[in-house]
Amino acid sequence: MSAPAHPDSTDLDRLHSAVKREKEDLAPESQPAPLWAMFLLMLVAIIAGGQLGPMTGGWSFNVSNPFATAGGGDPRPGGAGAGDALDPFALAMKKGASGYAVCGGCHQGNGGGLPGQFPPLAKSEFVLGGTERLIRIVQHGLTGPITVNGQGFNTPGGMMPFGAAMSSQDLANVLTFVRNSWGNEGSMITKEMVQKVRDEEKRASQWTAADLAPFAEKNVPGDIPAGPGATAAAAPAAK
Amino acid sequence: MQTTPATPDTDLQADNLRRAAIDKSVKGPVLFLFTNGAFWLMLSTLLGVLAAIKLVEPEFLGNCPYLTYGRLQPAHINALVYGWGVQAALGVMLWIMARRSGQELKGGKSLLITAGVFWNITITFGIVSVIMGKSTSIEWLEMPKFVWPVLLACFLCYAWPIARMFGRAFRPEGFMVSTWYILGACFWFPWIFITANVALHCLPGLGAIGAGIDAWYIHALILLFFVPVGVGAAYYFIPKVTGQPIASAQLASAGFWSLAILGGWTGMQKYMGGPLPAWMSSVGACAGVLLLIPVGLVGLNHHLTTLGKHSSVAASPTLRFIFFGALFYPVSGLVLALNSAFWTGANLQFTQSWYAFQVVSVYGFFSMCVFGAIYYIVPRLSGCEWLSVRLIRNHFWFSVYGIGTIIIMSLVAGWQQGVDLNDPEHWDQTFMNHVINSRPYVVSRAVAWALISFSNCMFLLHLLLMVAGLGRRSSAPTLLEHDHDDQALPHEAHA
Repeated sequence: MSAPAHPDSTDLDRLHSAVKREKEDLAPESQPAPLWAMFLLMLVAIIAGGQLGPMTGGWSFNVSNPFATAGGGDPRPGGAGAGDALDPFALAMKKGASGYAVCGGCHQGNGGGLPGQFPPLAKSEFVLGGTERLIRIVQHGLTGPITVNGQGFNTPGGMMPFGAAMSSQDLANVLTFVRNSWGNEGSMITKEMVQKVRDEEKRASQWTAADLAPFAEKNVPGDIPAGPGATAAAAPAAK
Repeated sequence: MQTTPATPDTDLQADNLRRAAIDKSVKGPVLFLFTNGAFWLMLSTLLGVLAAIKLVEPEFLGNCPYLTYGRLQPAHINALVYGWGVQAALGVMLWIMARRSGQELKGGKSLLITAGVFWNITITFGIVSVIMGKSTSIEWLEMPKFVWPVLLACFLCYAWPIARMFGRAFRPEGFMVSTWYILGACFWFPWIFITANVALHCLPGLGAIGAGIDAWYIHALILLFFVPVGVGAAYYFIPKVTGQPIASAQLASAGFWSLAILGGWTGMQKYMGGPLPAWMSSVGACAGVLLLIPVGLVGLNHHLTTLGKHSSVAASPTLRFIFFGALFYPVSGLVLALNSAFWTGANLQFTQSWYAFQVVSVYGFFSMCVFGAIYYIVPRLSGCEWLSVRLIRNHFWFSVYGIGTIIIMSLVAGWQQGVDLNDPEHWDQTFMNHVINSRPYVVSRAVAWALISFSNCMFLLHLLLMVAGLGRRSSAPTLLEHDHDDQALPHEAHA
């Protein structure tokens, strides 16, 4: 590995020339650092701190979801472990609220509908009455003249069916939300109830109000998880 | 001025002789490490080309199991990290520490050469095992279990004399600026290496945390070994070549200590949202972003030092490589921060941008600084000057363009991959579609590694000629400019 000796290797001046032309080691100075750089580094520290705050899972060895807290599940809607934090009714209301965005286009955000065009949901007997009728309307759609809260409606084309587009869980969440918003109080509608109706009724055409009359007061049987959704079930019956 | 031979100054003369004696004492081990390292680097870049081609065209070179991507890629990275990286780093550390401390290497030279030989033999066995399919599948530790105790012992053979030189040194003011980093690297490598290997090879049933430890190992090795050696070399050679003192001792101190404190905290953010305790990746992400502080402090210091001295960057090969290496340091910090922060990391996770970080820090930053160091050190050890300006220039430009391409392409590819994988619109796509979408980027990676291989051919050839003593017989340095007038401006000599 070492360099072989060369005839001119006694030429010390040349051999040491690289060493001789070297500049000496210099002690560092103490120039001030520009202020803007310090501010930039502070900004870095702030961004870095942002990685710690809400993302540590409460410093618990048992939590691997960065968005979860030590005390409960993921606070984001639909986040993993969210069900642990919220009771089933509150969860259904939360998810139903976002699912309602689809309905709000016609029935409006306040559930009031548009007079002469789209029926209201607030205080509507179709919403607060039998769950069987309500589920069937959303599942298969509704067409033809209908009277809601004393007002007549005959929307061209009626209401489209949502059964094919939404899972029974999503549908149940939205219906629970609708039955418990804008002053409505009704029992919770569960995924199992929607599924039961789906399994029984496979029609492809929309309902008319007359077709649905037999189901007006019928509730789909099924267990309702304990909580506000179950206690509210007594309310419409008492009216 | 000490470069003027016409005015003999006894002190100066003695100083020069002392430096020459120090150079002579470390000559054997340092040249051994550089030469072998350069061979591994050559191999690594060729494997890099092959691996990238295999990723695009799996049928390339037939269906030979030894040449599949899964074996070539780890062989490529291991040759780069252990064959070239650690070996070249040890050479630079030994030389700089000997010079900084003013201590000759006393005795133990044969032990150093033996350790070097063992290092190379062990890595040869290790990489052949990987190619034969005996990989451990642990990233950066793919070589079989038996390798690590040998590598550790060889490393310690070098770390001990380096630490002892430090212990014996007279330490004037400003002594620590580059020495800190070299000394730190001596101690941090064994710590990181032992921790990771014992945890991953000796503890049973680690489960998911094993992946986290491996990610920590990669980041710690980069940040607490490759980065310190690169920064240490930059801090030593920039004032040495420009004749301009380091701008701020305070910034240097703050930069070192913040790196020392933060370097070992990052890595686990690779598995953010994964099956590790959330705080581990959270702390890793925080440290990954905070590391912009030591990076920024060092970058600022170099910027203040070289302000107005950029003409010598064009002329001196050493300074040119070091300067661009030092430029890549902030880039590597930025890539790390982008990969680490949850905000961007959610998209960059598990994509090619992690490869971008490895390449920019090990090649773009560390290796470029080490090339600069080698261009400075080797003429002093071999007693002749670099032969060809053109070889150096080609080495420089092909490396810069190659590395730049890999970094930019891997980052863009990583972003595209990550966004596509996270986009609900793409959830019905098969994984193969994502792989096919990233092909153009991998093609550019193959081209870039080919450019780098080409540059390394020239570097290896040049280095071999120098080590064989076949360099230019001249007392003037090989500069990249003024080459039309070899004898011009000896007082302005930058190398």
